[in-house]
Amino acid sequence: MSVRSPVKTLRTGGLLSAAWLVLLLLGSLTAGWWEPYQTDAQDPAHTLASPSGSHLLGTDDLGRDVLTRIAAGSWISVGPALLAVVVAFGIGIPLALAAAEHGRLVERGSSRFAELLLALPSMVILLAFVGAVGVHPWAIMTVLGVLLSAPVYRVFLSQAQSLRTRLYVDAARVNGVSSVQVNLRHVLPAMATTIAVQAAQLFAIGVLIEAGLAFMGFGPSVPSPSWGGLIAAASQHIYDDPWLMVPTGVVLALTVIAANVLADTVLVSMGGGQRERGRASAARRATRRPARIPAGARGADGIASAEREVAPDGAAGTGELLGVAGANGGAASALAEMPGGPGGLLDVRDLTVSVDGGPSLVTGVSFGMRPGTVLGLVGESGCGKTMTALALLGLLPEGVAVTGGSIGFGDPPGDIRDLTALTVRELRAIRGREIALISQEPMVALDPMFSVGYQLTQPIRRFRSAGGHRTSRAQARRIAAELLGQVGIVDAKRVLRSYPHQLSGGMAQRVCIALALTGSPKLLVADEPTTALDVTVQAEILSLLRSLVAARGLSVIIVSHDLGVIADLADEVAVMYAGQIVESGTVASVLSQPSHPYTTALLGANPHVAEGLPVPERLASIPGTVPAAADWTTGCRFASRCALATEACAAPVPLTRAHDAGTESGTESGTATGNATGGTGTVRCIHPLRTGVSPQPLPVPHTMEPGAAS
Amino acid sequence: MLTYLARRLAFAIATVLAASVVSFLLVHASGSTPGEITAGSGASPAQVAAENLRLGWDRPLVAQYLSWLGGAVRGNLGVSLIDGHNIWSDLMSRLPVTASIAIFATLLSGILGVAIGVAAAVRGGLLDRAVTVGSGVALSLPQFWVGILLVYLIAIKAHLLPATGYVAFGASPGQYLQSLALPVITLTVTGAAIIARTTRTGMISALRQEHIRTLHALGTPPWRIRYIHALRFAGAPVVSVLGIQFIALFGGSVVIEQLYALPGLGQAASAAIGTNDLPAVQGVVIIATVVVVITNLVLDLVLGALDPKVRTA
Repeated sequence: MSVRSPVKTLRTGGLLSAAWLVLLLLGSLTAGWWEPYQTDAQDPAHTLASPSGSHLLGTDDLGRDVLTRIAAGSWISVGPALLAVVVAFGIGIPLALAAAEHGRLVERGSSRFAELLLALPSMVILLAFVGAVGVHPWAIMTVLGVLLSAPVYRVFLSQAQSLRTRLYVDAARVNGVSSVQVNLRHVLPAMATTIAVQAAQLFAIGVLIEAGLAFMGFGPSVPSPSWGGLIAAASQHIYDDPWLMVPTGVVLALTVIAANVLADTVLVSMGGGQRERGRASAARRATRRPARIPAGARGADGIASAEREVAPDGAAGTGELLGVAGANGGAASALAEMPGGPGGLLDVRDLTVSVDGGPSLVTGVSFGMRPGTVLGLVGESGCGKTMTALALLGLLPEGVAVTGGSIGFGDPPGDIRDLTALTVRELRAIRGREIALISQEPMVALDPMFSVGYQLTQPIRRFRSAGGHRTSRAQARRIAAELLGQVGIVDAKRVLRSYPHQLSGGMAQRVCIALALTGSPKLLVADEPTTALDVTVQAEILSLLRSLVAARGLSVIIVSHDLGVIADLADEVAVMYAGQIVESGTVASVLSQPSHPYTTALLGANPHVAEGLPVPERLASIPGTVPAAADWTTGCRFASRCALATEACAAPVPLTRAHDAGTESGTESGTATGNATGGTGTVRCIHPLRTGVSPQPLPVPHTMEPGAAS
Repeated sequence: MLTYLARRLAFAIATVLAASVVSFLLVHASGSTPGEITAGSGASPAQVAAENLRLGWDRPLVAQYLSWLGGAVRGNLGVSLIDGHNIWSDLMSRLPVTASIAIFATLLSGILGVAIGVAAAVRGGLLDRAVTVGSGVALSLPQFWVGILLVYLIAIKAHLLPATGYVAFGASPGQYLQSLALPVITLTVTGAAIIARTTRTGMISALRQEHIRTLHALGTPPWRIRYIHALRFAGAPVVSVLGIQFIALFGGSVVIEQLYALPGLGQAASAAIGTNDLPAVQGVVIIATVVVVITNLVLDLVLGALDPKVRTA
């Protein structure tokens, strides 16, 4: 049985709910025309009757038709709740807008007022009000509206505050639009989702409270058949006619359920949901941009060895893809040129990572690594660097998975495991112990709820069990302090006692590195480890990583968009663009003699690149953006942004030995000037650049699509 | 932390004072006077006026309020207009009933709700959807209606539990628990649904946090990730909602106590309102507010203990 998507189910539920509420409203407004009986018409011969043809829902203790009474009571049961919503919004929203607009002073006053309202026992206040003024449903619900304005105020204040800081709202104000108009035109419409959700939820609360009051006898006076009153009357006959409880209760419950479902539907379909949202947007992305794969792309695979796309139906299974990889003769030749070569510590072949039922984010990436070396993965955001790195640890985000290729890990000739084939349990044994991760944002990478000491000693006790029994707490703490010392933290004792929010960014990243070292891993995957840090701290962290590599013989994969970082730390580099490696080799050769136009462009965009490197123009930006994964072509994916692109670039481009590949199409000026490292690198370009050639003009795209990737 | 507590305490006192003013004003704005009640329904206007004079109703509002407040802080809320009983001692004798229901229902909602919410978030799939739908329905059901259905099914049909009434713990602990069972179950249906939703949402977002990925990257066992790290992270909103529920149960016990004929604060409230027993209404409001305020203070402390950011500030 296939399970329908939760979003779809919810949408159906939302429609049904809206239909029910509309039916209810119409039914109550037109009750006079269709009701089969007078609201108070008694029929002594048929009291407490079960449902029948003449009385669809039966009759009550006086022989009155239940259906008629429910319909007649619907407005008095539901209307006051609507009034409560209107009052709550009427007070809460303007107050929130004013507080957001006029800043601290007004905000303080109104927030205290709201807090006070929230702290009052609302049911008791309502009852006290009933005691004081008597039973007037509309008046009572007005008071409820006042009480509910406090939560409304709170919700909208935080939203209004964040909305007001948005650029377009600011722009409107600078342009002299009056504050009332700014609110009406920009702030309120942006709040529409919240207003709809809150309205539905408050309405549900209002209906329940109104019914509760009526049940206790504080509702509309007796002849008027409110639902709460009907249920109270029915409860008198619980022994002799329990059925009487059912119709009114179900109608009341359905109304409240409908309001709540409607709120959930609006929330989820407007993108405020939780789990549903992730899937929905992934699905939306996939449908909006169907993978454009030219017919026969697979046939051309003989050349495009490493180029593999997901089958158009998105159902490409791993097995099928692996089969393709096996038949791919071209891959091996390219692999031989990979940094590190095959058979090192790490041997990634033809790695493909895809969104479930969507496009591939990494396509046919291959690289290798020797122990004790540092490999840099570099490229703009959206090029698949991080996905490649996370795939090594089996830590791809929800909805993204490895769909092809292999990741060989281990010291040859010892046992080499394919990490993509491991079970979750087997992977867990590798994580931390053999491969560890340092992530981009140290401040959120640590658990805010636990002290640094706890977070360090936990894995230490797990990883470093001496002779079968776990490391003692005290011992683990000593090791933790030692590790902190090794990552350059001086007052380890204090840091162990601290919580993450008490640390600076640089300090937190040091702690994260210490955490990654707890299992003495062979390979460290560092995903943009310095991006979130200040420039001076960046340098410190980089030098720390460098010293760790030297002292411990660690291998490191460093992911960065910053060629400066790569130049500083890495031995080898793989430049990634749009899910592929476009150029690789030793750092010295790639950075000093870039072959791929993209590498050159990256160098040009980097402010930290040393003088003397062949940079076409300092601090130039690369025109255009990385195309979205669904738009990747089988030809050169950089072609749309490349000044050198020709029609030939539309055909699949294989990875070839750098500085060789160009010779066939060597119509460009000059032949390869003696480059010592020529044999070690690879490039994916049919007319690679030459070093020694006068700097290329800035690549100006001849088919530039502004905002091609959204 | 200390200044934080002092601020919360000051606000708590302000809240109680505000509630006392509100209830005082409501009583005086109602148009009915205590004399009308004490003098009886057949009394002449002169007799009513004399009664009002005796009860001090003619004094300036501020003076009346201050003398009421002076009594209230010493635990004297006056006497009932109906039966002359001391309101304070009457409410104090009812407090255990309401407190029992509220505490048991909160505990049970918390345990069930967290268990269900965590299971839904961790397992996902069909279970998750069943929990989402089920809790959505459960929290939409009117409690009094659920209560009557339970009375019908469990007390009348199955004879498993007494339908109504209350037995004090001192009299018979076993019967005490039996008499509380149905009201507590009734309240737990809604309560557990709300807690389950909050827990589920919190757990799902917690499991997506970056620090959880750090734990995965260290090969941390899944149970530790879920039940120590993610649950702790998701804990704050769950505790807040539990506190709100406790408050709602205290205030909302009115309906349940009427339904199950339990002699609690809620029953006192509806009786006082039904009979226009003005000082009793005031007393109930003030006691309910004090309970709310104390709950909020405890909540602040618990949240502080949960969140190191608050604790170490």
